[in-house]
Amino acid sequence: MRLPPSPEERIDRSRTVTFFFEGEPIEAYAGDTIGSALFAAGRRVFSRSFKYHRPRGLLCCSGHCPNCLMQVDGAPSVRVCTAPVREGTRVRSQNVLGSLDRDLLAVVDKVGGPFTPVGFYYRTMIRPRRAWPYYERFLRRVAGLGTIDKHARRSSRFDTEHRRAEVLVIGGGPSGLDAARAAARDGRRVVLVDEGLALDAQLPREDGFETIAPARAIGIYEGGLVPVDAGDVLLRFRAERVVVASGAIEQPLLFPGNDLVGVLLPSAVRRLTRLWSLRPGERAVVITADDRGLAAAEDLRRAGTSVARVVDLRTTQPAQMAARGSHGRVRSVSVDGDSVDCDVLVMSGGSQPAYSLLAQAGARVEYDGTRGIFVPRDLPPHVEAVGSAAGEGARGAAAVPAASYRGTESGGRCFVCICEDVTDKDVKRAIAEGFDSIELAKRYTTVTMGPCQGRLCHLPSIRLYARETRAEEATIGTTTARPPWAPVRLGLLAGRGHEPAKRTSLHHRHKELGAQMMWTGEWRRPHSYGDVAAEVRAVHEGVGVIDVSTLGKLLVSGPDAVSFLERLYPNRFGDLKPGRIRYAVLGTDAGRIMDDGTIGRLSERDFYVTTTSTGAETVLAWFEWWNAVWGYDVSVDNVTGALAALNVAGPRSRALLARLTELDVSPDGFGYLDAREARVAGVPCLLLRIGFVGELGYELHFPSPYAEYLWDTLLERGADAGIRPFGLEPQRILRLEKAHVIVGQDTDSESNALDANMSWLVKFDKDDFVGKWALEHVRERGPRERLVGFEMANGTVPPEGGQIVVDGLPAGRVTSARWSDAVGKAIGLAWVPPALADEDSRIEIRVDGRLEPALVRLRPFFDPDDERLRA
Amino acid sequence: MRDIFRTRRMWRPRGELKDRYDVVIVGGGSHGLATAYYLAKNHGITNVAVLEQSYIGSGAAGRNTTIVRSNYRTPEGARFYQRSVELYERLSRELDFNLLFSQQGHLTLAHSDRALITMTERAEVNQLLGIDSRVVGPPEVARLCPELDLSHDVTWPILGALYHPRGGIIRHDAVVWGLARGADRGGVEIHPYTEVTGIERSNGRVTGVRTTRGDIECDTIVSATAGWSTLVADLADVRLPITTHILQAFVTEPLKPFLDVIVVSSQMHVYVSQTDRGEILIGAEIEPYTTYRGTSTFPFLEYSARHVLELFPQLENVSVLRQWTGLCDLSPDYSPILGVTEVDGFVVSAGWGTYGFKAAPIVGTTLAELISTGRTPELIAPFTLERFYTDTLVSELAAAAVSH
Ligand SMILES: Cc1cc2nc3c(=O)[nH]c(=O)nc-3n(C[C@H](O)[C@H](O)[C@H](O)COP(=O)(O)OP(=O)(O)OC[C@H]3O[C@@H](n4cnc5c(N)ncnc54)[C@H](O)[C@@H]3O)c2cc1C
Ligand code: FES
Repeated sequence: MRLPPSPEERIDRSRTVTFFFEGEPIEAYAGDTIGSALFAAGRRVFSRSFKYHRPRGLLCCSGHCPNCLMQVDGAPSVRVCTAPVREGTRVRSQNVLGSLDRDLLAVVDKVGGPFTPVGFYYRTMIRPRRAWPYYERFLRRVAGLGTIDKHARRSSRFDTEHRRAEVLVIGGGPSGLDAARAAARDGRRVVLVDEGLALDAQLPREDGFETIAPARAIGIYEGGLVPVDAGDVLLRFRAERVVVASGAIEQPLLFPGNDLVGVLLPSAVRRLTRLWSLRPGERAVVITADDRGLAAAEDLRRAGTSVARVVDLRTTQPAQMAARGSHGRVRSVSVDGDSVDCDVLVMSGGSQPAYSLLAQAGARVEYDGTRGIFVPRDLPPHVEAVGSAAGEGARGAAAVPAASYRGTESGGRCFVCICEDVTDKDVKRAIAEGFDSIELAKRYTTVTMGPCQGRLCHLPSIRLYARETRAEEATIGTTTARPPWAPVRLGLLAGRGHEPAKRTSLHHRHKELGAQMMWTGEWRRPHSYGDVAAEVRAVHEGVGVIDVSTLGKLLVSGPDAVSFLERLYPNRFGDLKPGRIRYAVLGTDAGRIMDDGTIGRLSERDFYVTTTSTGAETVLAWFEWWNAVWGYDVSVDNVTGALAALNVAGPRSRALLARLTELDVSPDGFGYLDAREARVAGVPCLLLRIGFVGELGYELHFPSPYAEYLWDTLLERGADAGIRPFGLEPQRILRLEKAHVIVGQDTDSESNALDANMSWLVKFDKDDFVGKWALEHVRERGPRERLVGFEMANGTVPPEGGQIVVDGLPAGRVTSARWSDAVGKAIGLAWVPPALADEDSRIEIRVDGRLEPALVRLRPFFDPDDERLRA
Repeated sequence: MRDIFRTRRMWRPRGELKDRYDVVIVGGGSHGLATAYYLAKNHGITNVAVLEQSYIGSGAAGRNTTIVRSNYRTPEGARFYQRSVELYERLSRELDFNLLFSQQGHLTLAHSDRALITMTERAEVNQLLGIDSRVVGPPEVARLCPELDLSHDVTWPILGALYHPRGGIIRHDAVVWGLARGADRGGVEIHPYTEVTGIERSNGRVTGVRTTRGDIECDTIVSATAGWSTLVADLADVRLPITTHILQAFVTEPLKPFLDVIVVSSQMHVYVSQTDRGEILIGAEIEPYTTYRGTSTFPFLEYSARHVLELFPQLENVSVLRQWTGLCDLSPDYSPILGVTEVDGFVVSAGWGTYGFKAAPIVGTTLAELISTGRTPELIAPFTLERFYTDTLVSELAAAAVSH
């Protein structure tokens, strides 16, 4: 039933909207919120409380309190009092068993109430231990509020936008508007955001500044970042000046029965009557500590509710006050023994500046004893507070209401925290149990930890606490304000939420060839093209080609390039001739292996450094860091993406290459570990003769736009030689046959080059290099474990990560293992105790829970003398 | 049962400081309180004071995401944490305080074959030490956590997981309060709002501490100050190879049961669980920079939200309620630093990074034993400060960087 139309109302009576509540259609006007429409339809109970399942009704109508949380179109815990109606929306209650009006779990309130004092779960259900999982399942089931559709998918409707403003004003009340206008007059670029404008008096769009509403600032973060929740868009604001005009939050009074349905804060009265032309009830009592309550009494009268009594706490100080109800609805109020019937009770305990944003930005929060509120002080630079957020006005709250009011008889409970169903008794009990600092009491009672994050209970709980511990509020301090200022949906925070992934220039070729793709770090790479064994065979017997574009590629040049690299790597480079390549291992300052790759000298002062596919970024950062520290005349350029790379390998690779280049590729003209620049099929290439896969082979590095062309040409011109593209899996087998190490798989964050059998590359006679001190120490101490090869006695392939077992305990680990057709055995690499690191030592490896014998091998399994590699 | 209704004090009100204690424990977090509790309980050493600069549990103990598990990588680590899990399993009864230990199971997801290797290694080590831990394939993952997005058209498909059935979460405050109550009943004094500002020594041994409430003499000082460890060790001129970083976490609004297992994705730097209160609890890895400033950052919320929705797209409309930050004391090898130092009588529990809460009971028992007998228990011998001089590190990087 609506009141007669008024000019102020926000509903458009000519347009109706239908939505569904618990499956039943509800008719609303455009301009209604789900909450106002349900209220208009006669609904008074909007939710059931968290713990006791007490009926709860509209309380603040401002989106603060927990009383109107419902499921809306599958989204849990939506505050329907501020959620606009939309055609066809499906609304359901949450946290009830049965219906809102008949919630079976309300028995908790009847019988459980006295049995579930604060913290009861810490003291019960301890024995027998076996029963605990069942108790726990029950506890979990009754906890929680909303539910979600387990099969829902992402909607991808959210987006993020980066915005700048000279002045960002948060809050569109009178003081926020004044601040925005003033700044605009000064010629500043001003943006004003407000979370509720859509509800209160509509703002005229003003010239001079931009208004965004409804849009809620959710925090003031480091560097002045102010994220603003504007529905489906997250605005990330950076402003030179942030003006917080977030206003104040009306505070409840603490008296028995203060959570009954029909107990309202003044804002609820204002909104129900003025915006939606609804009459809150027939007969009201108003108890107030400020003018807001008086204004609410006026609103009520205008709406035709009779106001039976107004208690102004500034002039009268009752000793006793309690509301009584039936079926959870308020029926009467007694003040100092004087009982008045009513179905609406307005309480106004003054208002507390909404300082959370300021506190989060770094302001100090201080208790103002004369006004009984917390006020922000010592604002950080570039942040200002205006209006009631700054503690100004808090008009009329001159009277500090008593911390809590005594009731008459036993019965009604006095709630300090309605979100968490915490009563004044709970708080008193917590203090008596020794939780005598506010932070401890908060954690124990869970006051302020509910959906409103303490907006309605922080102040009252501290004042109650102060009274009970006979301390001054000011000395108690306050609990920390934890962002965000209001709940924000994960979807909004995530935005479009793409995860980065990298593809090489040949990605589509691989797909066309039917490659199974796999991840290596952020890269997508072919695992194989379907026949691993055939791909391995092609490399051993004919020719294969693999896309190695993912290798990190750095160009290090400058007069100091040699000194720079020699100081970074344990290797020596001074004696490396232009046109030659060296395998190098990069170490940390603690002597641990960080990455590996090849370094080719292109000229006196230019080096071409490759890194592992996953290590490129780290290595680049490492180079730049040390270059900055040492100040060498060297430049480091990352050409990883600019250049593609192919490895053409196999006994017939030379013949294939010879067809495509004028370069002398004869064994004498282009030997093992030589680097050459030449055109291959017309494409300018850097050719590196190296052999990770153990056969004669050439790595071609060239501008990536040519990648598909060169790949196609190689496959075409190599067709008669039986060329096959090969993937990572064949590559792993091939390199394992040669016992070539994969850094990060065969080594870990503790491995060093000496224990990993690479002592030949560590040049201790160099003046210094990163990690030298640590490696000298390792040399003195001797190895703790060693990386060795092994072959299984009976052909079982052990799992990678499998354990070498000595006396029933883990003593080492398998890092790589595969079956090799070429070797005819299951082979692998493993870390073993030094005592077992000799050729032919017998080790035992755990496979599927059994111990399988294996023999240690210290030389490559295939072509141990590198004859094929050097051919 | 009667206890539920009777209001009984948890601990005595804070009294005056005495002039002398046998043992002074700096830090009223889980480790300091556990050490105090076991000193009294196992060794009858009760002339002990726990000094805490703020309220008990104000540090990482009251901010952590409470994952308790033992599926570590190194035999040294796995064995140590396993003992701790076993102690936790008994602790509710022992303290007569329900710690709400919820052993729902712990799944560490593998999104790459490299990750599967690491997990196999952990499972193998764990099994050899009698720890329930195994690698499971996608069908089993789907059974254990049907809510997970196991499709292949996501950036990081799930290839398998390391499953640890006895891994769980626990109520952090309950652990702090239960231990504090136990210690108090055992006779130990707990002094909140008492900051240690100096450590007195003579002839290379500690003789006392200075505090904001006066000076105290003592024979032994235990520093259990986690994120503040280097500051307190500095007071004794002991240098620890530790840096302090922040770690952040957040919770959503409480939901009805949605997730019955803890899910960790190192690849996406995120882990998710649902508390007994119904909140979805989400954490990440440590911030890469060092700081003592405990402010929460917004980018953390953004990237964690992004990652968590990759795993659980259905959470899109669930709202974040609050976020917070705690300090973490990170050691170079992701293993703790426990026991004696070069200053006689100065004992440390430090280097806990993002994983120390699960160790509170075992730290308490072993440090109490060390103090009582003067000998380093075998279980913690691998974790001495000395290992950084002998370069015998215990690398848990693979098992502790994201899954705390
Ligand atoms: C967000 C987050 C999530 C985490 N998640 C997990 C997890 O899931 N699982 C897990 O096992 N671990 C986790 N951790 C790590 C774990 O919380 C810590 O390693 C562990 O709590 C540290 O031990 P503590 O409880 O004794 O430390 P704290 O609680 O930090 O105790 C140290 C105490 O020392 C006090 N102190 C410092 N200096 C002084 C002084 N000079 N005088 C007096 N007192 C002083 C401090 O106030 C503090 O109370 C997490 C940490 C964080 C921050
Ligand atoms: S009333 Fe909302 S948290 Fe206490």
